[in-house]
Amino acid sequence: MAHQPEPARSRAHRAGTPGPEPSDAAVSLRDVTRLFDGLPAISAVSLDVVVGETVWLRGPNGSGKSTLLRVVATALSPTFGTGTVLGDDLVRARDRIRARVEYLGHQTRLYADLTAAENLRFTCALYGLDPRAVPGALAMTGLDAVGDVRVGAFSQGMRQRLALARAAMRDADLLLLDEPYAGLDVDARAIVDDLLTRARTLGRTVLLASHEAPADGLVDRAVELDAGRVVLPVRERNRPRRAPREPVREALREPAWEPVPEGLP
Amino acid sequence: MTARLAWAIAAKDLRVERRSKAALSAALPFATTMLLSFGFALGPGRLLLVQAAPGLLWLAGLLAALDLFSRSYQAEADGGCLEGLLLSPVDRGAIYLGKAAAVAVQVAVLFTLTGALTVALFGLPLGSSPALLAATAVLGITGLAALGSLFGLLTALGRTRQAALPLLILPLATPVLIAAIRACALLSAGSTDQVAGWLGVLAAFDAVLLATGYLVYGHLLED
Repeated sequence: MAHQPEPARSRAHRAGTPGPEPSDAAVSLRDVTRLFDGLPAISAVSLDVVVGETVWLRGPNGSGKSTLLRVVATALSPTFGTGTVLGDDLVRARDRIRARVEYLGHQTRLYADLTAAENLRFTCALYGLDPRAVPGALAMTGLDAVGDVRVGAFSQGMRQRLALARAAMRDADLLLLDEPYAGLDVDARAIVDDLLTRARTLGRTVLLASHEAPADGLVDRAVELDAGRVVLPVRERNRPRRAPREPVREALREPAWEPVPEGLP
Repeated sequence: MTARLAWAIAAKDLRVERRSKAALSAALPFATTMLLSFGFALGPGRLLLVQAAPGLLWLAGLLAALDLFSRSYQAEADGGCLEGLLLSPVDRGAIYLGKAAAVAVQVAVLFTLTGALTVALFGLPLGSSPALLAATAVLGITGLAALGSLFGLLTALGRTRQAALPLLILPLATPVLIAAIRACALLSAGSTDQVAGWLGVLAAFDAVLLATGYLVYGHLLED
């Protein structure tokens, strides 16, 4: 079902060749606006992400990061603008996109009255996955001992782990993570990092919205959103280690970040 | 493929309901209270009770089921599960059929218990044709479940308030209700002459409602 991406080609793009060709674009948005009750959550956003790239979406609360991810995930339709995801039109080919995209949002999308294993098996039924992958996914996230426990008895962190297990099990071509570190302990944060590392190794594309900086070397570049607009895409050159504590716009002024030249994603 | 997905969704819904008992635990007391109230309002006259019983049974069942319809989406609304269904690349019609099948089973349990209560309280005779009675129940419940699964979604999506659900469902459920009541009344009176006609009406409405639900469910679910 999922086509194999071309990581080497993508890396070449990140090295500085001009903007992505259609076949290279995992995400290509043109002037996408989404209105809620007449107010724009994102406004005229244009964004290109090449296959195999990991992009960190940053910005203050309400800057439109989550809305942007949900538009790319096809959970929301753009009010204006056009775009493609993995080569398919954002509006006309939503089912094809959904088959290849995993979106992990603020809500874990788990049934409280089903056990952890039952939740994952239901995901297998929806996506046509082999349910024999369930024990491995539970073990990967440290939930193998509680696979038969109802999710209603789980803490928020455990639910987040289970959602990560679902994401790992799906192995989608495009991974959309919205604040994946929120509410996680150190061990669970390592699971997110492992997921990012694995995605990178396999040439998957990742869009990661987070207030926290991912661990060193896990993202290729950052895109700053403010008030629903992309304010400045920045390329990582010599990025500091995890979690710069200063506000993100302050971080943009740091010499460790080099603005991307005009025309590059 | 559609049948397999519908089965997976129905099995999931029934497992959730078996554990939470969220829908039936609210609907059953409501139906029981209604039947008891009707019984006391009508008085001890046996003939009147028997004549009114089919109508009271279906009316109490339908009104109790209204709550069940919106509760059938409670598990989807909690924790963003409905968005999970939306983002899965499956036939939207399969989701609808699975939800409708699970609701139909729950409504069938509701009608079985309220039916037993009606027989006990009102002395409703079951007639001499249990097969036709079962066919009436199955077709009537299918029609109600087909409507309830479709409009229950609107409350889960927040596009209509739960209080508005009866306004949407009751007008459309009226033909189903009338046909089911007439078939039940004839069968309990021992007549099978016109039952086939009423069953035909029920089957026709079921087909229209299920086909409509199958076709429009995806449009309702999408943003």
